[in-house]
Amino acid sequence: MACVPYLLLIEDDDAIRTGLELALTRQGHRVVAAATGEEGLERLREQRPDLVVLDVMLPGIDGFEVCRRIRRTDQLPIILLTARSDDIDVVVGLESGADDYVLKPIQPRVLDARIRAVLRRGERDSTDAAAFGSIVIDRSAMTVTKDGEDLQLTPTELRLLLELSRRPGQALSRQQLLRLVWEHDYLGDSRLVDACVQRLRAKVEDVPSSPRLIRTVRGVGYRLDPPQ
Amino acid sequence: MTTRSTARRALSWVTRVRFGSLRLRLLAVFAAVALTAAVSASGIAYWLNRDAVLTRAQNAALDDFRASMTRNVGSLPVNAPCDELQEAADRMASNTQSYQVLLLGTDVNGAHCAASSGHGAFTLAQVPASLRTAVDKARPLTDGNHDAYHLYWQRTTAGGRPYLVGGARMIGDGPTGYMYKSLAAERSDLNSLAWSLGIATALALIGAALLAQAAASTVLRPVQRLSVAARRLGEGRLDTRLRVSGTDELAELSRTFNNAAEALQRQVEDLSNREAASRRFVADMSHELRTPLTAITAVTEVLEDEADSLDPMIAPAVRLVVTETRRLGDLVENLMEVTRFDAGTARLRVDEVDVADLVTACIDARAWLDAVELDAPRGILVRLDPRRLDVVLANLIGNALKHGGSPVRVTVRTEGPDEGVARSASVEGGGGRGTGLVVRVSDNGPGIPEEVLPHVFDRFYKADASRARSEGSGLGLSIAMANAHIHGGDITAANRPEGGAEFTLRLPIPPPEGEEHDGDDDHGGDNGDAAHDGHNGEANGGQR
Repeated sequence: MACVPYLLLIEDDDAIRTGLELALTRQGHRVVAAATGEEGLERLREQRPDLVVLDVMLPGIDGFEVCRRIRRTDQLPIILLTARSDDIDVVVGLESGADDYVLKPIQPRVLDARIRAVLRRGERDSTDAAAFGSIVIDRSAMTVTKDGEDLQLTPTELRLLLELSRRPGQALSRQQLLRLVWEHDYLGDSRLVDACVQRLRAKVEDVPSSPRLIRTVRGVGYRLDPPQ
Repeated sequence: MTTRSTARRALSWVTRVRFGSLRLRLLAVFAAVALTAAVSASGIAYWLNRDAVLTRAQNAALDDFRASMTRNVGSLPVNAPCDELQEAADRMASNTQSYQVLLLGTDVNGAHCAASSGHGAFTLAQVPASLRTAVDKARPLTDGNHDAYHLYWQRTTAGGRPYLVGGARMIGDGPTGYMYKSLAAERSDLNSLAWSLGIATALALIGAALLAQAAASTVLRPVQRLSVAARRLGEGRLDTRLRVSGTDELAELSRTFNNAAEALQRQVEDLSNREAASRRFVADMSHELRTPLTAITAVTEVLEDEADSLDPMIAPAVRLVVTETRRLGDLVENLMEVTRFDAGTARLRVDEVDVADLVTACIDARAWLDAVELDAPRGILVRLDPRRLDVVLANLIGNALKHGGSPVRVTVRTEGPDEGVARSASVEGGGGRGTGLVVRVSDNGPGIPEEVLPHVFDRFYKADASRARSEGSGLGLSIAMANAHIHGGDITAANRPEGGAEFTLRLPIPPPEGEEHDGDDDHGGDNGDAAHDGHNGEANGGQR
């Protein structure tokens, strides 16, 4: 990973794009900006950024669609900028595969903190491996295989799986997971956890609708079952 | 009988009773009119008839008696013997008028003799004394009165039967004759006439009642329809209209009702359109403000970081821009929040939280730990929207710090189901549940002036015109109140007797969700959003 994070900023409003570019650059990021979703997808192919900061309201294809198209091929982190704090935006965004979201008006310090937190999720912090049934988590290579096949996980999904696998059989609350994975404060949005768990289950479970690995613990949160 | 038909009958009875007074009044009026008419008509007819019947019977009897008397007694010698008198009496009694005869005379020997027809059935005792006196009295002879004695008659009753008694004295000291005729036939005729008239009156009454009922129905049915329509209108179905038929007053009333309903509907539509437009305007405006504000906010941090290294003349200007931009940002955020509450799009995202933890985190996040005395026992677990409770607490504590100054005291308690007094949850043990959460935020400031107290939760209400440019957007407490309401709770403001203001937040504690609720953990859980949309933040079944 590059020492200077390389960001792709997709935002249609000129003033906001310029302002955010200015602020993020000052905070030590390398920023490439795009004004439309189409242009953003093109920049993504050309420049291979570390992270995408994506506005939801875009002319042409909207932020959710951009998000879905990115997820078809890439697992890089995506942070949504949503102009409305309307719940439906957040929900659709998280279902489209976004890792985190920031509400407008954006304070660059908050955005910077989120960016750094997302990027940290991809960092290696241990060198062992663990197996849960057909799932093998290699912490040194930061890869997860299922029946020997590599699984394409986003850094957030990977970090969530790592945190759960570190405490097998122990239930972790949504707030705990928000602190551990997203590094959010006490008012973190627990829907981030739920959305991420759904995506992770879709990738690691044999039957995602009746999970045997990542279990919901009613009234608490989630728990990774130790291998049987 | 089924319960449904019983209910319908009861309902129709209730409806009839509701209109009973008007119906009863109509019935009473119709009955009174019918009764008066029938009774007066029958009464007059009866009296006229009675008079005519009696007079005719009486005249016929008396004329016959007079003629028979002249014929039979007038031919007798003076002081005729008793047996002759008896013969004359019997002759007279065999008449077509069927009356009894009594003849009184004196024979040549001066002995009194009473001859009665029908073997003594008729005696002098049956003749009233007043009649006897009148018959026996000799009138003085004048120009207008040629005879000393006249025929007199009287009606009496004996043993419950009506009789006509008449009497006359032969002129020239002749015998005195009395006649005695039963009027039972006439009476029974009159009785049957009275019965007929009574039956006619009763029939008239019944007819009047039926007419009244019919009249009441024709009046009351439209009135009932009108009442139903008015009730529907009151329930908010403004498109309620009545069918207008005819040209009478009730049709006019229906038409008036329809016009009123139409006008009402138009006005309500107009008002709600205007209100919706103004709400949309505020919402749109806040949205429009937010875009440039986002751009400005993005660069203000750059400016802020550089302020220290700027020209001392320029630095304060930059700092002013930075702080005012933040205020503007807060104001726009609050406006958007208010429009969400107004439009009813604000949603609860509940989670089970330890209130003490949340309050501590709220105070900590805003660096208020030194200024706040917190009394919150741990273990009060409540299902609520943590973000919204944080907003409420931040507004209440921030307001107390601003106006009352530190230290601000925050007390968290649960309230039992029927006791008004707050009680410590720790007494009940960890996780003890009451039915209400009570958070009191009190300060030691000057308190709230009495005239301001009712308005503290109003939007943009400033206690003092000179403080119009004080900190805060003027929406904080109203947003706190709206957040309490969306939880089904409330906030009250009061002054403490020992000084200072106290805001009390009361939230209901919903009962814990049924533990028996199980099932596969992914019917609800896989729709993370659905699980958080309503109150059901934890819809997943447990699988241990």
